[in-house]
Amino acid sequence: MEAATVAGGYFGRALVVDLADASAETLALPEEVLRAYIGGAGLGAWLMHELAPAGVDPLGPDAPLAFCFSPLVGTPLTTSAKFAVVAKSPLTGLLNDALASSHFAIAGKLTGHDAIVVRGACDEPSVLLIDGDGPRLEPAGDLWGLSADEAETRLRERLGKAWRVASIGPAGERLVKYATISHDGRHAGRGGLGAILGAKLLKAVAVRPSTKVAPADPQAVLAAARDLRARSFGPATAKYRELGTLANLLAFNAIATLPTRNFQASTFADAPRLAAEDLAEARQVARDSCASCSIGCEHIYKGANGKQARVEYENVFALGPLCGVSDPDAVLEASGRCDELGLDTISAGGTTAWAMECAERGLIDAPWLRFGDADGMLRAIEEIGAREGLGALLAEGSRAAAAIVGQGSAAFAPHVKGLELPGYEPRTLQAMALGLAVNARGADHNRSGAYEADLSGAHDRLTGGSAHVTAAIGTEDRAAVMDSLILCKFLRGVFSDPFPEWARLLSSVTGWDVDGEELEATARRIVLAKRAFNAREGWTRADDGLPDRFLEESLEVGSGRTATLTRERLDAMIAEYYESRGLQASGLLRERQMQDLRLGKPVRSTRSIRTVP
Amino acid sequence: MARAAGIVLAGGRSSRMGTPKAALEWHGSTLLRRVVGVVGRSLDGPVVVVRAPEQELPELPDGVEVVEDAREGRGPLQGLAAGLAAVRERAHAAYASSTDVPLLHPRFIRQVLAALDDDVDVVLPEIGGFRHPLAAVYRTELVDVVERLIAEDRMRPAFLFEACRVRRLDADALLADPALAALDPDLDSVLNLNEPADYEAARARPAPEVTVRVFGALRRISTVGRDPALVAAATVGEAAAATGLSLDGHVVAALNGDQITRDPQAPLVAGDSVSFLSADAGG
Repeated sequence: MEAATVAGGYFGRALVVDLADASAETLALPEEVLRAYIGGAGLGAWLMHELAPAGVDPLGPDAPLAFCFSPLVGTPLTTSAKFAVVAKSPLTGLLNDALASSHFAIAGKLTGHDAIVVRGACDEPSVLLIDGDGPRLEPAGDLWGLSADEAETRLRERLGKAWRVASIGPAGERLVKYATISHDGRHAGRGGLGAILGAKLLKAVAVRPSTKVAPADPQAVLAAARDLRARSFGPATAKYRELGTLANLLAFNAIATLPTRNFQASTFADAPRLAAEDLAEARQVARDSCASCSIGCEHIYKGANGKQARVEYENVFALGPLCGVSDPDAVLEASGRCDELGLDTISAGGTTAWAMECAERGLIDAPWLRFGDADGMLRAIEEIGAREGLGALLAEGSRAAAAIVGQGSAAFAPHVKGLELPGYEPRTLQAMALGLAVNARGADHNRSGAYEADLSGAHDRLTGGSAHVTAAIGTEDRAAVMDSLILCKFLRGVFSDPFPEWARLLSSVTGWDVDGEELEATARRIVLAKRAFNAREGWTRADDGLPDRFLEESLEVGSGRTATLTRERLDAMIAEYYESRGLQASGLLRERQMQDLRLGKPVRSTRSIRTVP
Repeated sequence: MARAAGIVLAGGRSSRMGTPKAALEWHGSTLLRRVVGVVGRSLDGPVVVVRAPEQELPELPDGVEVVEDAREGRGPLQGLAAGLAAVRERAHAAYASSTDVPLLHPRFIRQVLAALDDDVDVVLPEIGGFRHPLAAVYRTELVDVVERLIAEDRMRPAFLFEACRVRRLDADALLADPALAALDPDLDSVLNLNEPADYEAARARPAPEVTVRVFGALRRISTVGRDPALVAAATVGEAAAATGLSLDGHVVAALNGDQITRDPQAPLVAGDSVSFLSADAGG
């Protein structure tokens, strides 16, 4: 397969596999589009505009799902072995991208494609293999029902170690709306992308490298890689390296930012039991890192059941304080089970916490489910993974479940656009509140890291206003570029002047004369492309917001001050956000902004491949 | 509309001190910086510093406003008028302070503010037989009365108190609050410094005792063995130093679980709790 003439770091094409008729084609990706969207989440947004039929059912056969790589993948730049999985989410009904890191990124790209897209559906449980011999499907009945880890292990035993595998677990097979896609123990976690593969009866995608790709200026890339690696050992990443993200928990508790009991409180009296500061000494057995990463943020703990689990703040917050559970063994076990089942821990914990509150209020009949009851939480997770009992309801996510239960439960369903909130209390982090409210993916801390500004001391985090809007836009823009290059956000602290620095990296890989200003425009374009996709799929102004709880109930912080986020304040920030982004007052794009998205570019199909049955 | 703004009068002549009080050193900070910080954290409204025409001021934190007296050296009513005029559209009331009260405690300010209700226009501490018009709360709408008094050249605060409803708070009333009684038992909040000896005596006092907590990876470089620990520190910077940390780009401090700051001059008072966190809070 000959690559189109493209910039360094790219192949200039995407592979589109139609699982329905076992055929594949390659799509040329115009250089103008690659430069406008870079790769990863940006390229994925453009691909969804082009390939997803308007109004498509995310779990229907016509829905495409894209694994998107980036120009930096395969370079020695630290943390660059990442990819984005992009599709219309079954949980939100809107655009979703989930990022992950592993050798899958490198092997997937070195099949000779900047993206691999699957659409259609298999007739039977299958695995898609892609290497230099082209794509082909193999039956995977023997893998169906296995955890992603087990499926990956068996496939690599069968196919050989050169193959890298992204797989779903039982939750994806059962179409749990927040099922993950997993590889090497890491998850493209948010938004239920695993359910899309489950609906297609596609257990896994396996890739094997078959070609190479060179950067435009190898020497410059090598020098940049050395420099970035050296900086990655500095104080900006010390937190991740030494204790991991779980270091957030006790600190967030001290500043009333630790969501507790379904956001009824922002401090958890038993937080010290779950704190990395103490748990690490007793439970940590290993430290690990993603492929091509010099930070090493992964901290592996051992639970009382002897099983090891990768510990992250979001897992522990969602399955601990959010559910009122303080037993570290129960939280580690729940986290491990979510990994095995292939469940997004944030949505699993958030939906379970909502159900706990419903049960305590007598809105659902589940006397076994109470805040603080670890056994109840573990049972809920099992039932969700199996879609049995209460799990059939909870597998739909908190928004859909609240619509079924009614009785006012939507007011405290902890989601935005259907995606459950991460572990950042919006009332005490009001730039973050805006970020959560307006983000295209829904309530999300990776596409909008505005908590950074709230925790910087640059503004009063309890009193949202113009400074918070500026901060939220800034973090959203920076995330859009980092998620498209792709670089890990844990590196963000090492860049003092990020857009120009990123532009230099991109230039050395691609050969383009990109500058910081162009990248800032690229960031805005990517943010707006996601918003435009959502608008096409039925987004309305009412979808940008927060549940009533956050706008009607106040919290008290340690100083005695009250944290209140009124509907009026949030609406004012949203209106200012639209204005600052140049949007219409309705939140929709203007015509000139739509023109800038470069949609509807002719995409040339270069080849059609029959797959081997 | 905020409940209360802060007005700090910096424009006095400091004749007995012999040097401008506002710029006097205070634990690596200045008197004015400290008072502005203490007042600011005690209120929900803006803080305004009133200076004499063309008076030079030491560095102030972001957000603090500066206005000028119309005329220099005419006493506190002149400065109060400028301060009240600056905040009247944004706050119902204002706590007015002089710049020479480094032992001012936020709890004192809150107690004075708490005594303001619909029945009074001014809350005036009266301690040991002395009125403290620059440790008092005024309704901002009093600005018209104050300006009329100035126009009539009736420049003593006593004239203002004759013209409005005043609630006097004596020491017993103030110390009825157990928290204030514990944190400022001698009501040093109103101790003002007029002469070099006053300043030297106050400066020689030990820094207030505050609680520090260190989180995450910072705990591994902290020199404080216990969590939480007590240290003597008048500023966040002193607390950081006593903990073996510095407020660089990767460390922030949370004051009493509330505001986050990187400002080493942010003032601390007795009873404060400072949490040092990693500035890289993602994940």
